[in-house]
Amino acid sequence: MSAAREPPRRVIVAGAGQLGVLTAVALRKALPASEVMVIATPPDPAALCDRIGTALPFTNRMHEQVGLTEEALVTGCGASHRLVMRYVGWSGEGSQGLAAYGALIDAKMKTAFAREWGGGPRNAMTGKPAGSVGEALALAGRFAPPPPGQQHPLAEVDYALRWNVPACRDRLIDLAEKAGVRHVAGRIEAIQMGDDGLVGALAVEGAGPIPADLYVDCTGPQALLLSQMPGAGRADWSAQLPIRALLFGQPGEPMLALEDHCTLLPAGWLAEYAGRDGKQDVLALREGVSEAEALQMLRGKAAGAMPLAPGRAGQSWIGNVVALGDAAAQFEPLGWLNLDLAHRQLALLLELLPGNAPDPRERDEFNRRAALMADRVRDTIALHYHAPAAGAVFGDLPLSDEMALALDQFARRGRLPFFEEMPLLVQEWGHVLDALGFVAGEGAMQLGGGGSGANEARMALEKQCEAALKSAPPYAAWMAQVLRG
Amino acid sequence: MGSDNPKKLKVVVLGGGTAGWMSAAGLAKLLPGLVEVELVESEDIGIVGVGEATLPHIRGFVENLGIDEAAFMKATHATFKLGIDFQGFGKIGESYIHPFGSFGEEVAGVPFHHYWLELERQGLVGAFGDYSMAVSAALARKFTPPTTDAGLSSTYGYAYQFDATLFGPFMREFGLGIGITRTEGLVTEVRRDPESGDVTALVLKDGRVVEGDLFVDCSGFRSLLLGDALEEPWEDWSKWLPVNRAAAMPCAHIEDEIEPYTRAIAMPAGWRWRIPLQHRIGNGYVFSSDFISEDEACEALKASVEGDMLAEPRLLRFRSGRRSKSWSHNVIAVGLASGFLEPLESTSIYLAQMAVTYLIEMFPLDGKIDPRDRDEFNRLVDMEYDRIRDFLVLHYHATTRDDSEFWNHVRTMGVPDTLKGKMELWRETGRIEKYSDGLFYDASWLAVYIGQGLLPQRHDVRAGIPDPQQVARAMNGLRGAVADEVAAMPGHRAFLESEAARLAEPV
Repeated sequence: MSAAREPPRRVIVAGAGQLGVLTAVALRKALPASEVMVIATPPDPAALCDRIGTALPFTNRMHEQVGLTEEALVTGCGASHRLVMRYVGWSGEGSQGLAAYGALIDAKMKTAFAREWGGGPRNAMTGKPAGSVGEALALAGRFAPPPPGQQHPLAEVDYALRWNVPACRDRLIDLAEKAGVRHVAGRIEAIQMGDDGLVGALAVEGAGPIPADLYVDCTGPQALLLSQMPGAGRADWSAQLPIRALLFGQPGEPMLALEDHCTLLPAGWLAEYAGRDGKQDVLALREGVSEAEALQMLRGKAAGAMPLAPGRAGQSWIGNVVALGDAAAQFEPLGWLNLDLAHRQLALLLELLPGNAPDPRERDEFNRRAALMADRVRDTIALHYHAPAAGAVFGDLPLSDEMALALDQFARRGRLPFFEEMPLLVQEWGHVLDALGFVAGEGAMQLGGGGSGANEARMALEKQCEAALKSAPPYAAWMAQVLRG
Repeated sequence: MGSDNPKKLKVVVLGGGTAGWMSAAGLAKLLPGLVEVELVESEDIGIVGVGEATLPHIRGFVENLGIDEAAFMKATHATFKLGIDFQGFGKIGESYIHPFGSFGEEVAGVPFHHYWLELERQGLVGAFGDYSMAVSAALARKFTPPTTDAGLSSTYGYAYQFDATLFGPFMREFGLGIGITRTEGLVTEVRRDPESGDVTALVLKDGRVVEGDLFVDCSGFRSLLLGDALEEPWEDWSKWLPVNRAAAMPCAHIEDEIEPYTRAIAMPAGWRWRIPLQHRIGNGYVFSSDFISEDEACEALKASVEGDMLAEPRLLRFRSGRRSKSWSHNVIAVGLASGFLEPLESTSIYLAQMAVTYLIEMFPLDGKIDPRDRDEFNRLVDMEYDRIRDFLVLHYHATTRDDSEFWNHVRTMGVPDTLKGKMELWRETGRIEKYSDGLFYDASWLAVYIGQGLLPQRHDVRAGIPDPQQVARAMNGLRGAVADEVAAMPGHRAFLESEAARLAEPV
């Protein structure tokens, strides 16, 4: 007869950035009978999951799940909506391409575009019609989040948010306090291992030893807990990922926009995201770029700099320690995948939530899927460096077998194979490749399928775009109205 | 771009059985601009006619070809199918339905079965199938198509039970109607290019030569092209799936109502199918000749069917396994020529359909085969076979039966490592190893684990937190809602007969 696992008596989340606090709230909601305690170790500015105020659509779901509503993010945390990423220069001087979120991108239609425009890299100057509803809305500057659970022309448009990080973290702390999450501030002085290979307690500065059944390491790239576990290892990603340093710009002028930019530069790339309280710049540098050169690119003003050694933990769950975020994987924030991966791995932990004692098979299953998630993030980012104009900047980098297969299939057949735990939907992935200037080939069905359905699909999309544009207000007007209350 | 007039490939399909006509029709219908299809078959060779029972995927295939469901059902004497009733697999006297549908709903991110396991321990819950629309409707012998909203009535799917010896001819008629050339003849020689090793032509008994660019081997177990000519190695799986014979025999209906499900009834040396069609019931004993003789098996089959026998048992011999590669050189094997997994979960037609679909997806462009596309095709096909294999092995291995040599063997045999890991995870934690590609997902694994009495040691911590009485009330509510929906459904026969177009001519 099957019995429910005993709940953990106490769960400790180490690290009190926006990731650690959200993790604590989520665990507390899942385990109302267990004590959940956050240990606020000194913040690490190199923890990108705690530093960057934007992610992908999945994070919206995770925020909702812990009680941080989109409304609260918009009205209280400076949040705004991103419908598309604009990639600039990745397929040559002056090239631009837009990549939207969601599954509204029809494969049949994509090849019709390729046919109509001779299969050349997409360029915003050619005046092509939009390839997705998100793109049409972004170009028109119109959008309002659709009412939930209703038939609505905007209902299928997916989006990411950007927010003010300290404000968001404050909101999460409110939620943590309301949920009864305990809080202890202090440096972790020692990890006390038990005979069973599990952590027995953490010695916290000024608070003595604190025992727990489960420890979640959200302390950033140092991985204060996981790195101390026997058998802790690392998979090095520096062969595939060429970025070696990040520079953060001073917040710029307030900016409201439905798109963000990522621009290929001779020194690496520059990602900019709009913020209602100031535009944020992140400059990613390849090896061999001097700090002076870099500062020049940010017009002399940097709010911070950090070296980057990309890689992931060999196993992100060892014993009774689970690492999330930068403690589990470190990589450049291209496409804003850092917090997205952290939240997806948190969702995996919640799916495989252990009791008071971790089960080795559950741990193996977590590590199997967490590693797949991380490696597919690495792969998704690595593909950017194979864009037509990126080779000149980064040289010829290796690709995983899966991505080599995918690029070959995409180029020759316009097909992207399905891989488990990819961070993007196949449609989103195709859109990103398209925006980066990869040219999709045509598959057997497009070439020899008789009536291909491409025209119908395109007309359907045009109709959808029209309906969406009609129903969406100018984004600035919507925002102003929401803020007036 | 040259895409307006791509070079057409001459595709020769060898074999006029289910897989042959499905392949020919699929290619000709979906890639008219790329292929010219000729099918070679011989009236002297019977067809196996596998797969009287199908999986829901067949609907997509029929629909993609633009075939009307009612016409298709009429021609193949088809009935609707909501799942498979497995009797006596885990233990003699116990049965469960593996449905085309889900069980319950997850609550706060925790899958339904953890709550069910918790209440089961406390004796507060009904049978697992009571919380599944497909199971409940099947047991009540009712049917209506699922809805497309988000309600309870959208939580199941359906397939067909049909006469496989009529499905091939139906596809043939369809195929001939869309311009497939049919050539009658026995193949006596396979010509190959001495340099590349590719097949260049089939020589028929009367001397005619059928040339082609691409050869689809649907010659059944004989595997004339892939196996005989190209000598593609065979991976034998009989150590895990020991059944190697089937005796098939139709019988008459014994009552008015038609079960909207297939029965798989465990037997001392294998299992027996029972598939109700419009005019008759298909029966068959799938067994291992290591444990029972062919004659004994035929007798056992005759003794077990309830209705009047409509023919003598017909014997089929096979072995479980697959060719290392389904596509080698310019030969693609579809159906039994590529591999065989016994019909326990009705996967034969699915496997043929899957291979045709991947062939269409990976079809050679610019008139020539790219080895990378061939590798990708083989990767996808292998993944499907291997995952189904593990799921089938589970049905035999997850048993407490010790009443026959056969069941002792399968209970104690080693299993593939990939299955071993899945079973250990389930036993210790009540969790299902997750993958999104392949055929059978969580609900299927749960149906078999729980149905065969293989309960885990422990389940999710969160299922033990809420007040059990409160959870029991919620579950009762769900069970009641399922029962209400099912009560409002028409009987299976009544639904079948509500549309005359899907009824076959009286036999």
